[in-house]
Amino acid sequence: MEQVIRARRFLAAILLLCAPLSTRAAEQPSEYQVKAVFLLNFVKFIEWPASAFARADSPVTICIWGKDPFGETLDRTMAGEVVNGRRVVATRITRAPSPRSCQVLFLETWEKEAAKAVSGLGPGVLTVGEGRDFLRNSGMIAFSVEDRRVRFDINRTAAERASLKLSSKLLSVARNVEQ
Amino acid sequence: MDAFRITLVEDNVPDLLLTQRSIREAGLNCEFTSFADGDEAVSFINSAASPVPDLLILDFHTPCADGPSVLNAVRSNPRWSQVPVFMLTASTDPSDVARAFALGAERYLIKPTHLDGFLEFGQSVKQWLQNDQADSREGAGAVTLFGRGLLCLLLLLLPVAKGDSPEEDQAAPAALKKLTLEELTQIEVTTPSKEPVRAFQTPAAIYVVTSEDIRRSGATDIPTALRLVPGVEVARIDANNWSIGIRGFGSNLTRSVLVMIDGRTVYTPLFAGTNWDVQNVLMDDIDRIEVVRGPGGTIWGPNAVNGVINIITKDSKDTQGMLVSAGGGNEEQGFLNFRYGGGNGKDFSYRFYGMGFTRSPEDHPDGRNFDDWRESQGGFRMDWQEQRDTYTLQGDVYDEAAGKSTQVNSYTPPFQQIIDSNALLSGGNLLARWNRTFDQGDDLQIQFYYDRADRQTANFQERRDTYDLDYLQRVKLRARQEISFGLGVRVDPIDDTEVVSGLTFLPAKRTDYLATGFLQDEIGLIEGKLSLTVGTKALRTDFVKQVGLEPSARLLWTPTDRQTVWAAFTHALRTPSDAEENFYLSGYNPQSAGGTPVFARFNANPDFAPEQLNGYELGGRRLLGKNIAFAVTAFYNHYHDLFSEDITGAPFLESTPAPTHVLLPAQFRNGLKGITKGVEANGEWRPKEFWRLRGSYSYLHMNVYTSPGSGDVGTGPGIAGSSPQNQVVVQSNFDITAKLQLDLVYRYAGVLPGGSGIPLVPGYSTGDARIGWRFNRHVDLSVAGQNLFQPAHPEYSGDPYGLVGIKRSVYAKLTWSR
Repeated sequence: MEQVIRARRFLAAILLLCAPLSTRAAEQPSEYQVKAVFLLNFVKFIEWPASAFARADSPVTICIWGKDPFGETLDRTMAGEVVNGRRVVATRITRAPSPRSCQVLFLETWEKEAAKAVSGLGPGVLTVGEGRDFLRNSGMIAFSVEDRRVRFDINRTAAERASLKLSSKLLSVARNVEQ
Repeated sequence: MDAFRITLVEDNVPDLLLTQRSIREAGLNCEFTSFADGDEAVSFINSAASPVPDLLILDFHTPCADGPSVLNAVRSNPRWSQVPVFMLTASTDPSDVARAFALGAERYLIKPTHLDGFLEFGQSVKQWLQNDQADSREGAGAVTLFGRGLLCLLLLLLPVAKGDSPEEDQAAPAALKKLTLEELTQIEVTTPSKEPVRAFQTPAAIYVVTSEDIRRSGATDIPTALRLVPGVEVARIDANNWSIGIRGFGSNLTRSVLVMIDGRTVYTPLFAGTNWDVQNVLMDDIDRIEVVRGPGGTIWGPNAVNGVINIITKDSKDTQGMLVSAGGGNEEQGFLNFRYGGGNGKDFSYRFYGMGFTRSPEDHPDGRNFDDWRESQGGFRMDWQEQRDTYTLQGDVYDEAAGKSTQVNSYTPPFQQIIDSNALLSGGNLLARWNRTFDQGDDLQIQFYYDRADRQTANFQERRDTYDLDYLQRVKLRARQEISFGLGVRVDPIDDTEVVSGLTFLPAKRTDYLATGFLQDEIGLIEGKLSLTVGTKALRTDFVKQVGLEPSARLLWTPTDRQTVWAAFTHALRTPSDAEENFYLSGYNPQSAGGTPVFARFNANPDFAPEQLNGYELGGRRLLGKNIAFAVTAFYNHYHDLFSEDITGAPFLESTPAPTHVLLPAQFRNGLKGITKGVEANGEWRPKEFWRLRGSYSYLHMNVYTSPGSGDVGTGPGIAGSSPQNQVVVQSNFDITAKLQLDLVYRYAGVLPGGSGIPLVPGYSTGDARIGWRFNRHVDLSVAGQNLFQPAHPEYSGDPYGLVGIKRSVYAKLTWSR
């Protein structure tokens, strides 16, 4: 009996240790909050040719193709952002984008259909995906999580083929740049 | 001049980085000491050696001790009492402001919402520190706003609710957006594993135990980690022996369940099962354990009849740096783990590790504390990547002494005795794998491994070498088809040594082999909604001189992203093993004492056929809202040609082996049939970001009966009686703060009725608990207790047949990583 009482007291003491229970335990941002901010940074550190946009005042559109792992976070991150005079907006698509409708195309899963469509996208679209396999399939930037930190690899050849200019800053922060 | 010393207390990492950067960018030469929670800061302040800073910047709402408590500690510490304190906080609540000043804060600063604001803040800190603080005291007592302050000022005038969670959610991206690219790459993130998503859309009863689940379970071995998997029966027999079953057929051999570690089959053809005492892995290295309940023979291989347990370790690039953990307790007497990982930071990485443990015997009412256990092990893994290719090379060696109690029979006196002694177990393996990815996600893989297992026990010795080569390719075709196919060959040269005359393998030196091929096609019937997977495996072993087939068909319907329904039919085989085909096992009849000794002997049966299963499954999964997920599976399995123990003739006098004895001839045959049916349900609920609740219930009905014409001596009830009918697991994972975790588990397993001479084991309820403290990025302390509800309880009838109590155990573990 004494042990039970002692155990209860011990538990109570632990719970009191940090009373009131902090709702701030989740102070660490989530993976996709950070990835969303990376997407915004890619827009800032990459230069698109004017031909990539439908009009001079068209926004920079980030398209999520297929499964959307970001949710509202992405829209909140882009809200109110203006880069080089263009607004930055996020949208979700379910089929291959029409020309000049997407400047950034994010794919979480690499499906065969998408692979075919991506290779036929033409210039002016930055493709961003997950895992280094993505680069082997002519994707341009691939996220990966290493030691609980979000890193990214760049396939520079593919990006330059799409007439995108990557800033040296972006290249220097990338974990790997494949030429 | 000397650097200014600034102490920061801030739990929000982006804010912390921004604060530091803004002060540095203002051109101030300074050194920072930072704390992520109030308790850490207070203990630093009160430690005699703490250097007194020139300035303390304090967040208001910090975990554990909040900002005002830290401030209080500062003002009441004689050495620190004069340290100027800036509150830097998002709180605009007037009562917070009043409280801060009452406690003696120098300034109350509202966290900027834009980068400009932070830069301005840095400038003001610099000015304040350089202009000999006294000159700029005019700021004291005021609330200062930086950057676009007007909005904040308006907010300040309004009554604002504190800590509204939606606002905090929005604050996160705002703060992150202020970071530089380099800083972003340094932010630690929470990563929900992707496996559950993949598992959600698999047409099989799959469950994934993640590395985080394992860490929080406090499990120090794989069987203990498997206790968390719905529908898996884990019963600890003694300290180094477990019965693990999936959907029935629990036994210490874990028959008919295929177990793999990193693609290496650890299922032994000696007796068609897994020796759990030699499947040890550094628990910190495990990336995940995938458990498939139900037959998985088509893809996974022969013997995946009742399920597959697939243990996958982390890529070496995810285990960089040094890790040392050590601990001990009453049952887990002591353990030490070491790991070091390195690489070139790009395409090559490696790790090596060493581990050792010593465990105490469990509770033995008869005082025969035979089951102590000491193990030491080491190994390595290397991974490198080129454009399309991934190469892996890994290996392990182990050496252990595991105490066992063994019933030994011999034709010479004393005929039968129980020997308690250490089994000497040693071995190692080396595995190489090459994977190439093609355009459009096609890939191929070739894998080779070598494995040696050396077992020396009281009644038997074996050295087994295994060479295995596997080839696997996946091709996506037009018309929504993905074809997988593979070939494999395994060769096992074996050397058995007879230790006692009652247990013999003949021939003692022999070679087992297995050749397999499989073909599977996944067809998208309705894009993204309905798919059908059909395939078969073909296999041949040295035991059965004909090809066996394991066909399956699985239908997957995903009407929405949040709902999955699947159905499957599978035919699976448990291939015969040495223990049926090359094995002579004798038992002494104690009632014959005095006269001519009487023995029964199971003679080798070269005609033993594969055990066969026809399995039918139906399952569904559903996500409800953001925080609730559940899955239900129902199954019906029909087995035939199950292993039986048959009397094959009348007793007769036998003179070899000498001395002359009466022999009752017997044999392992295929005389049993069986059905199992059951339901497994499991669910998960996250009421809060910091609280995760999971539960599962599984029901099993099992009947094993004799085929007409079989000479089975009545083993059916004992097989069925070794698995519980009902099982319940409830888990709670609670983050009390970012640094303190409390994990609780409740487990119930129903009675094992026994039968066929196997004693009954009562059902039991018990619980596990773990408390983990993360002191800082490098140091982690946890205390874990298992089987807490009672001093000891038996979970399975021992071998030979004494009930061993599984003790309440508690251990502490300290982990240091860098």
